[in-house]
Amino acid sequence: MMTVRSRLARAVAVGAALALALPLAACGGGDSGGDADEIHILVYGDATNKVETQLVETFNKTSKVKAVLDTIPGADYQTKLQTIINTNQAPDIFFNWGGGSITPFVKANLLMPLDDMIAKDPGLKSNFLPSVFNTAVVDGKSYGVPMRGTQPVLLFHNKKVLADAGITPPQTWDELLAAVNTLKGKKITPIALGGGDQWPTQMWYQYLYDRVAGPELFAKALGGDKSAWDSPDSRRALELLRQLKDAGAFGTNFDSVKFTDGGSPALLSSGKAGFELMGSWNYSTHNDANPTFAAKDLGWTAFPSVPGGKGDPRNVVGNTNNFYSVLKKTKHPEAVAEFLKLQYSDEFVKAQLSIGNLPTTTNTDKFLDTATNPAYSKFQFDMVKQAPSFQLSWDQAYPPAATTTIHQAVQQYLNGRMDANGFIKAMQSLQAG
Amino acid sequence: MATTTVAPPLMTEERRSGRRSGGQNLGRPGFAWALPATLFFGFFAIVPLVLVVVLSFTSWSGIGSVEYVGLANWRRLAADPTMTQSLWLSVLLTALGVAVQTPLSLLIGVWAAGHQRNRAVLSAIFFLPLLLSMTAVSVLWRVLLDPNFGVPGQLPGLFGDGNLFGSRTGAIGVLVFVSSWQFIPFHALIYQGAARAVPAVLYQAAEVDGAGRWGQFRHVTLPQLRNAMITSLVLMVVGGLTTFDTVLILTGGGPGTDTTITAYYMYEQAFKSFDFGAGAAIALLLVVVATIISLIVVRVSGYDKMRSTMEGL
Amino acid sequence: MTRRRPNWIAGIGAMFWLLLVGLPIYVMVSITVQTRAGYGQNGPISLPDTFTLENYTGAFSEGFGRYFLNTVVVTASVVAIVLLLVPPLAYAIVRSRSRFTSAVFRLFLLGLAVPAQAVVVPIFYLINTAKLYDNLLGVILPTAAFCLPVCALILSGVMRDITSDLYEAMAIDGAAPGRVFWQLVLPLSRGGISTIAVFSALQAWNGFLFPLILTQSESTKVITLGLYNFQTQHGINVPGLLAAVVLSMVPVLLVYLFARRALVQGLMGVGGK
Repeated sequence: MMTVRSRLARAVAVGAALALALPLAACGGGDSGGDADEIHILVYGDATNKVETQLVETFNKTSKVKAVLDTIPGADYQTKLQTIINTNQAPDIFFNWGGGSITPFVKANLLMPLDDMIAKDPGLKSNFLPSVFNTAVVDGKSYGVPMRGTQPVLLFHNKKVLADAGITPPQTWDELLAAVNTLKGKKITPIALGGGDQWPTQMWYQYLYDRVAGPELFAKALGGDKSAWDSPDSRRALELLRQLKDAGAFGTNFDSVKFTDGGSPALLSSGKAGFELMGSWNYSTHNDANPTFAAKDLGWTAFPSVPGGKGDPRNVVGNTNNFYSVLKKTKHPEAVAEFLKLQYSDEFVKAQLSIGNLPTTTNTDKFLDTATNPAYSKFQFDMVKQAPSFQLSWDQAYPPAATTTIHQAVQQYLNGRMDANGFIKAMQSLQAG
Repeated sequence: MATTTVAPPLMTEERRSGRRSGGQNLGRPGFAWALPATLFFGFFAIVPLVLVVVLSFTSWSGIGSVEYVGLANWRRLAADPTMTQSLWLSVLLTALGVAVQTPLSLLIGVWAAGHQRNRAVLSAIFFLPLLLSMTAVSVLWRVLLDPNFGVPGQLPGLFGDGNLFGSRTGAIGVLVFVSSWQFIPFHALIYQGAARAVPAVLYQAAEVDGAGRWGQFRHVTLPQLRNAMITSLVLMVVGGLTTFDTVLILTGGGPGTDTTITAYYMYEQAFKSFDFGAGAAIALLLVVVATIISLIVVRVSGYDKMRSTMEGL
Repeated sequence: MTRRRPNWIAGIGAMFWLLLVGLPIYVMVSITVQTRAGYGQNGPISLPDTFTLENYTGAFSEGFGRYFLNTVVVTASVVAIVLLLVPPLAYAIVRSRSRFTSAVFRLFLLGLAVPAQAVVVPIFYLINTAKLYDNLLGVILPTAAFCLPVCALILSGVMRDITSDLYEAMAIDGAAPGRVFWQLVLPLSRGGISTIAVFSALQAWNGFLFPLILTQSESTKVITLGLYNFQTQHGINVPGLLAAVVLSMVPVLLVYLFARRALVQGLMGVGGK
């Protein structure tokens, strides 16, 4: 025992000596500040970074001021962004979702309005679909340029499950209810729902509120008119949702299922569920996990219309796009403007399409055939282009501080822990920022 | 390993008072020897603790400046049902953890102190959960307990619809179970060490007195394990109150706010809602509650008078 | 020490526990050697019908190697800081007659009651102000600081067991504190030093909260955070995730196999002698 221990002690001593040298070496490379001629671009870290890296390289070929791409991976992006935006680590340009994700920064006077840049190069605005561009307009000023793909929410289905049950994809709410009953009779969970993540639940509210009341109700509420939540339309949307859940549409254990850990996509692809309401990234999720299913049996439609509803059935909800916003304190506004212009270049559009994203520039049309799945891209692009309204996801329309409350309220009303009054009260407690 | 971060003040008081005499001042180290560590610790633990107090009277969102708001945070929290609920939940989770872990770790510890065949191999397996970080354990169980593709999906007879994360009882049950899974081996170790140190004479004497197995356990083992039990209890209480990783990864405080315990609520307020003032106030409350409960346990149990129970390890 | 008849109740409890521990570990390992598609069809309890190591290699290609290296850097540095600061501190606590030193000892006792969770907000603020945000050093420093109280207690406990005769013998030789420390105290507290090394290494290796709050980018990510991010990504690969979990355990397992006693003592944070 003794020998083992003294050997260990010696090893520890050697390790300690090594360790003293290591962090100095390792930490040295980490600083992102410096007064070099650089602009730092901060983006959400995921597969799309490929394209961003490519564009940065293109930019650096001609620019004297060099662009540096920094990424923050995973679900913590907004948290981390908020914690560094007012420090020296703050980037010059950063990825965001528009809407509420930037209003706190606008209010804190940290962002640069892009209207002057647009005056010099009108293309920075006119080359993008208006319904998308407007998401990053705050108090009448433009604060963002679209920089990735649009992500509308679609009603996905398993073609084989529907065919076996003899149902066609529902166009109306009543057809959806009928499909739910048929599937339930066959012991299949009608609709997969990753309730554990909470935001998939929110998608049902967004569409139902839009179909029943039109986009105006939420716009009013976001604008500070809290009575909107207590309107008859609001209560009717809640009632329809309750009705759907009580019909057994989501099964009983939906709050234990997550989309993020692959649970709800697997329900759909394995035929244990018939439908799933999900963002357009769902296609690549399935394509990664089970390419055969994605190619053969994955189907999609728009959200059904609701009888007597005020909302146009062509309306869409989801993430309109992601945006690049610019910090006021950037030292190189001209270089930034040059970089932003790349976001409507042909190179950008082709690169995005090649990895399955759907850009929202007006020239996207031309290149749709080069997409990984042209039919899917075309369906979405037409849907977004023709939509009278594109409602940004609620948790992104409100400032980040509201997210937890919204997520908890949508979960608790759907699972029955909260009644309609409770939900309305929770939503009325939100600060619009 | 949250429980190990706050070990009890072991084995010090009595010896300290006993050993102070004798020797000259010659060759004794001065205060300078303690200075670097003290400064370092003061900067990262004591200064932040003071700052927590200060921040709890301010409003700060991380992007603006820090503003003094007096008692506003405290008033808001006092009226906040989630806050009150989080305190109850923390206490409930801790109590359930103690109720589940104590008997099992006592049994396993006493068993492992014996001399059965294969004991070494078996105790090695007992140990495995301790080798994983809390993060890894939480990730593992999140996968294993998935209602459709985890164990519940394969054993519907045992788990019903498997809605473990979707109901209050289920989610609390999962948290208690997963923490127990990870920490029972740890507490069993404490008991094992103490049980080995029980003098065999005591058992022989009890046997002579005609005590059966239960009698021996009740009258010899248990009293001899008293100090070990107190150590284990203190660690469980402090660990339970500061549980964070498991909640973040397994339930995210949900469903709804059903598992939003105080430590998680602090994180949520500070780092998700960017209300650092409220977060600091909750943190302060957490320190106060943890200290009070530890003190109560220590006083009630006479822990402060004990010697080290772990010398037999 | 010898105990008598087998203890049935405890035995049954132990067997029950064995199942409860053994099964999940078995399931975890068995999932990691299946392909992603195979896992989707089989479910967790079923025997794997395919065998592959692609999940392990895959974990490395998804950045696990980098996380591993970062964690090693953090762990080694935390241990180094602890080993630099604690032995002199413990020596002073045990031998110094200064009033300040006993005040310091009480300070560290108080520190035991401060959970790291409670001070993350100001620590975040401090690290940010010191421009150490998203820098491994920013994780290393607070992690090491929160190891100090337990380590100081352990090591001062061990050093107290060095009898005063030995100190006096050296004092008569006219040895200065420095020499006493190097020639007497350090060699006689090797057991305690290895305990605090293992204890602080475990704290650093398994640490989650500080990296979660204080780092952001891929280049500063440690294993625990990597596991957490793995899980919050869209379309998670379960066998790959669990392979990463298994890999994260390997170094601790090695220490367990080769230095079991130090590990156990380090785990429990108690003095080795």
